[in-house]
Amino acid sequence: MNLFNRFNQLGFVIGIFFILVALVLLIGYGISEALHRPINLYSGLLMLAFGIFMIRVKDEE
Amino acid sequence: MRLHPADYLIIFLYFLFVVAVGFIIKKRIRSSNDFLSSNRSIPLWITSLAFISANLGAQEVLGMVASGAKYGIMTVHFYWVGAIFAMVFLGVYMMPFYYGSKARSVPEYLSLRFDEKTRALNAVTFAVMTVFSSGISLFALAKLLEVILGWDFDLCIWIAAGIVMVYTFLGGLTSAVYNEVLQFFLIVLGLSPLVIVALQDAGGWSAIQQQLQPELTHAWKYMGKADDNPMGIHFMSLIFGLGFVMSFGYWCTDFLVVQRAMIAKDLNAARRTPILAAIPKMLMPIIVVLPGVIAIALTQMASDAGDYRIPQDASGGLDYTMTLPSLIAHYYPSGLLGIGITALIASFMSGMAGNVTAFNAVFTYDIYQSYFVKQRSDNHYLWVGRWVTLVGILVSIGTAYIAASYNNINDFLQLVFSFVNGPLFATFLLGMFWKRTTSAGAFWGLLLGTVAAAITHGLTIAEGKGGWIAPLFPISSGMGQAFIVASFSWIANFFITLVVSLLTQPKPDVELKGLVYSLTEKVYGNETIWYKKVGPISVVLLLITILLNLLFF
Repeated sequence: MNLFNRFNQLGFVIGIFFILVALVLLIGYGISEALHRPINLYSGLLMLAFGIFMIRVKDEE
Repeated sequence: MRLHPADYLIIFLYFLFVVAVGFIIKKRIRSSNDFLSSNRSIPLWITSLAFISANLGAQEVLGMVASGAKYGIMTVHFYWVGAIFAMVFLGVYMMPFYYGSKARSVPEYLSLRFDEKTRALNAVTFAVMTVFSSGISLFALAKLLEVILGWDFDLCIWIAAGIVMVYTFLGGLTSAVYNEVLQFFLIVLGLSPLVIVALQDAGGWSAIQQQLQPELTHAWKYMGKADDNPMGIHFMSLIFGLGFVMSFGYWCTDFLVVQRAMIAKDLNAARRTPILAAIPKMLMPIIVVLPGVIAIALTQMASDAGDYRIPQDASGGLDYTMTLPSLIAHYYPSGLLGIGITALIASFMSGMAGNVTAFNAVFTYDIYQSYFVKQRSDNHYLWVGRWVTLVGILVSIGTAYIAASYNNINDFLQLVFSFVNGPLFATFLLGMFWKRTTSAGAFWGLLLGTVAAAITHGLTIAEGKGGWIAPLFPISSGMGQAFIVASFSWIANFFITLVVSLLTQPKPDVELKGLVYSLTEKVYGNETIWYKKVGPISVVLLLITILLNLLFF
């Protein structure tokens, strides 16, 4: 299934959303003093793991 | 509260994704059924999460955290008494009628089982209720963002309504359902860290138990007498009022939630939708009740100026409604703060979209197509559905401004909703399980049950509300009053329907096949794995629910 078609899958869309949100937290943790808090790091990692899990979920499953 | 650019970026990402979902779904919309009822094609995991998300609007999230702070662990009754049993009942006993009858809405089922006037009564009250609920949701969102972030009230209303309009106009029900699932994960993942850090700050659950008065940490122990517990209700009122009348009335008959199960791919999936939804529902108190209990404990523990406290209102009392926003502001740094705020925005917008999509289905199918313009092309009804979505959003905006102008409009509308919802389950219970129930019985029972609710409210008074006929019966909490009003309206509806039915002529059996329990072939399904069967999974869920009640007794 190509990437465009995968955007029809809700699991994929949710996965991408949480990966992007996780990247905001993780990159922000690395480069911004305001975001350099352990809770941002742990939450970012949790959301990254969840995002990766969701992009592997197919709607029919 | 000031937001960092990273917080704005997260909010922007959310807006971008919900609108994108609308555009993605738009390609699949070819008929009115696609737009208004998703053509019964949605996978089980999505319908299940949408089923509880439809109820996870911001009033629910903010309200349950506030109740957790005000009433303590007793708030879990709204889940472990007031939801799970009704959800299982819907899946096991009622879905075969909703889904099997091929009705596209709850009012349409009423027209098949009874007649057009019962359908019209339900459809009109439901349509009005949903569109006003949507407006209240919009008002609450704009007010919250104005208070905590200093954002412009008008701008919040128009941006939030505009975004909801775009994705519901493009993708209809499917778009709303997909965004509800996104919202569910956003709330769970966005608020989980808050529970962990706040619990840690309070010293753990045992420290909270030591700090708080015992009636705030026990669900049942202090319910033997109404005066002994913070809700001010006896356990029998709770079980009948909340656990039976209000819970079954909402979860089994409110089209907003039932619609999520009716769009499943097949009957088995439709039956399992509320049952699987009961699993996360059972765990939701961790996200929405526990923060409130932690907040009141932290407020009592607070000694330094920097310690967390629930904010005070103008009169100096605790402003429980602000418990969740204040927890987010206190514990979340930039970054996670954006996620917390986005979770709140998502729950408001999702609540609004859920109401608007239920409104357009009921208006198009049960009002427009049934009474005004019949026998037109499907494309005509598709466009009517789209334009009704637009009208629904505009009326919601109007309601939001009315709510902003009249302080008591929210209370008044919520009250009217409870009058309408309270008696409804009696109509369905008798209609589905007693074939002798007649159309006249259903109509008069429903109408007079609503009148009974209004009279009961007029004769009771709690926290300064009610008693508009004569304040003869004082009740210590508004919550207790709601249970009693609902109970009386249900009893009135039940007995009026019963008596009128016995005095009037029922429909012949042949017209009731597939609509009444005794005249419908039982569905057992052909699933072989136990957890895919409706019966065994329901029993397991009920046992776990009972166990949870005992654990927090």
